[in-house]
Amino acid sequence: MIPEIGQLSLIFAFALSCLLALVPMYGSYSGSVRALLLAKPLAIGLFLFSGTAMACLMYAFYHSDFTVINVASNSSSMLPWYFQLTASFGSHEGSMLLWVTILALWTALVALFSNSLPLLMQGRILGVMGFICVGFIAFSLFMSNPFERSLPFFPVEGRDLNPLLQDFGMIVHPPLLYVGYVGFAVSFAFAIAALIGGKFDSTWARWARPWTLAAWLFLTLGIMLGSWWAYNELGWGGWWFWDPVENASFMPWLVGTALLHSLAVTEKRGTFKSWTVLLAIAAFSLSLMGAFLVRSGVLVSVHSFASDPSRGLYLLAFLLLVVGGSLFLYALRMNAVRSQARYQLFSREVLLWGNNVFLLTATLVVFLGTLYPLFHKELGLGSISIGEPFFNQLFYYLVIPFSLLLGLGPWVRWKQQQLPPLLKPLTLVALLALTLAIGYLAATQSLAANLALLGCLLGAWVGMSAIGEVYQRAQQLGGFSLGFTRLQASHWGMTLAHIGFAVLVVGVAMTKTLSVEKDVRMKIGDTVELNGYHFTLTDVYALNGPNYGGQAAELEVFSNGEKVTHLHAEKRFYPLQKTVMTEAAVHARLSRDLYVALGEELSGPSWAMRVYVKPFVRWIWLGGVLMALGALLALLDKRYRRAPAHVDVKVRETTAAFNGAEHA
Amino acid sequence: MRKSLFFIPFVLFIALAAFLFSGLFSDPRQHGSALVSKPLPAFLLPDLMAPQRMLSADDLKGKVYLLNVWGLWCPTCNAELGFLTELRQQGIEIVGLYYVQPQDSAFGETFDLAALQKDVAKKLAEQGNPYQLNILDEKRSLIFDLGVTGAPETFLIDAQGQIRAHHVGDINPQNWPALAAQYQAVLQEAQAAAALTQQSIGATNAP
Repeated sequence: MIPEIGQLSLIFAFALSCLLALVPMYGSYSGSVRALLLAKPLAIGLFLFSGTAMACLMYAFYHSDFTVINVASNSSSMLPWYFQLTASFGSHEGSMLLWVTILALWTALVALFSNSLPLLMQGRILGVMGFICVGFIAFSLFMSNPFERSLPFFPVEGRDLNPLLQDFGMIVHPPLLYVGYVGFAVSFAFAIAALIGGKFDSTWARWARPWTLAAWLFLTLGIMLGSWWAYNELGWGGWWFWDPVENASFMPWLVGTALLHSLAVTEKRGTFKSWTVLLAIAAFSLSLMGAFLVRSGVLVSVHSFASDPSRGLYLLAFLLLVVGGSLFLYALRMNAVRSQARYQLFSREVLLWGNNVFLLTATLVVFLGTLYPLFHKELGLGSISIGEPFFNQLFYYLVIPFSLLLGLGPWVRWKQQQLPPLLKPLTLVALLALTLAIGYLAATQSLAANLALLGCLLGAWVGMSAIGEVYQRAQQLGGFSLGFTRLQASHWGMTLAHIGFAVLVVGVAMTKTLSVEKDVRMKIGDTVELNGYHFTLTDVYALNGPNYGGQAAELEVFSNGEKVTHLHAEKRFYPLQKTVMTEAAVHARLSRDLYVALGEELSGPSWAMRVYVKPFVRWIWLGGVLMALGALLALLDKRYRRAPAHVDVKVRETTAAFNGAEHA
Repeated sequence: MRKSLFFIPFVLFIALAAFLFSGLFSDPRQHGSALVSKPLPAFLLPDLMAPQRMLSADDLKGKVYLLNVWGLWCPTCNAELGFLTELRQQGIEIVGLYYVQPQDSAFGETFDLAALQKDVAKKLAEQGNPYQLNILDEKRSLIFDLGVTGAPETFLIDAQGQIRAHHVGDINPQNWPALAAQYQAVLQEAQAAAALTQQSIGATNAP
């Protein structure tokens, strides 16, 4: 019965989303205050019903109701309860429902926290959100129903969840990623509402900023978590694979980052307007395209769900309607907008423009790298594949000027900056960065003219410059300790995020250059040496998990005769899915990871082992976490917490606006 | 001028959508082989079951057949054996190209032909034997020349020894009809050519 309640809730949610798409929009044209006021309760109702549908699906998974096809093909009764719950979004159907629920959650949040917005604007924003909800709920309901039953003949046991997805990372990764992906729908809705209204003042940007920040925060965390999960779970020590679907999440992130910076210019200086609106549309369009790429099967990827052309066709039609429609509206409305702000060549505006140029070039690189094989094939030129070297090389070239600019950016004033006052502090920062980077590498005897040196230099430059800038700002705000407390939360946020980027760059460069690995055959008692670490295999024994078997290896690691750690690596076999999974043993420290993956059993008895020492790999994720924390700090800034206007006042304003329009 | 600039994103997007649309109806895993309509690369490799007999591309000329890359280590290949055997019973000629996986001497692996022959014979006795004969490619030289990315893969070879189609993945009742049509076309071509040769021989023999 519960799945039927879920089905019914989803139908109710669909009906509510249709109303949400129509009623406030009608209100915004007719000036009917009642229609506009209806947006908020409709949005909240929409969330309640889609949330209920998701809860019903989770219930069906938790109770292993194998009459539901989705449960039977993605779960089993042997699965631990927490994976049974997460299996509810392990399949295409379930993840689509999760997507819908999160979209409805954002819609409800916008409804709840947009009291300071004019009624007209609020109605339009929620109307756009409602329209997007209609598209996705209809897709879930009619094209990929998660509640479909297989009665009267149902299996007594499920086919189990894909073992790749049976991991802690999988519990958190998809929801976070979706919250980020879908969050850009809010920025998109703000942009479309502004386009419909034809008003692009800086208040528009100020409203859109916190929502964009929130979406970006979750997307950053989601991507980082995915990377961390791949590192632990795939058994070959990689943390980013340039897989089409990873790229699909990376593109909205890059554009979202550009959008954050561009919004700052629009808010503070009233310029870059058409650019910002385009970025807001692009960020969400790329999210949608990501959904299309994952679910339509046009590209080969480890992440793809089983492909089905009719689903792809639906999503493409929806993409055309939403993205094509909004870009068309953009073209019609934007040519009337003029920016009036003036700025000099050496000003923060221009530097942020540079930031956007590099971020968008990076997006273009990822975009072409991902879709070029498709273009190539559809043009009849045969099939090709584009791999890591293409992306890596182009990103090396892009990161150098980007980092140099990034170190400079926060020091430069709006409108116009004189160079002389900056020379002294920037020289100091540059010298400090040089000393730090070269000093560290020399001290660890890994100084060479290579990528690691370049990465450390760039990272130190960005990091030192961010710290130096905060220091200087604090000094200006009334001395060291007082100044620090007077700095705005958003300024701290920016600094932290920039330091996060520096940490990430150092992590990537060091890991790429200085990692060492060894494939070995080991018997019990054997020792292998790698970078001064001695790995001794002490035991291998059979595993008995709830839904898997396999082998586990125990290793002791010594360095200079002292015990460093004990490692436990597993090779699991999941009989229901007939899949072998590697659970790598990782000993993590800030300066290096020790990483051991257990391979096949060989004659002897001995085992194939893969051993890595990966310096600074933690910095990659640490950098991501710092960036997300920066976004969180910026979100907590006081200026985003405005006292909401009373409804009566807003009603009067709206009515006045419409009467004014009629008289004019 | 300025006005039309704002339409650029829209136009670019429509172009992209057109590509995505056509992409929906083609399989990303299927790929044209650079070797199609080129002759089978030259090779000289032993017969798996009778290694003293060396086979070359010329030995296989004159008939239309499927060259099926397979190995005991590959579960999909083993699953495919049954259907391929049915095809053989329908009169389709299939030559196996046995894919020996790289042996890592560091892990104490050595190539043992006798054991392999025994295992193959046992497997084919159990699952059905679709193969007229099996070519043993221990060093994967022909497999490399054919651009094989994995097993199973199947090539359609015509009577002149030219590669006419390249199929990646297993052959099963769902995807066979497409390949079967190509096979029939190539076969008819070969028969027509043979008939023509017969005729011309007949013509020259006539007084």
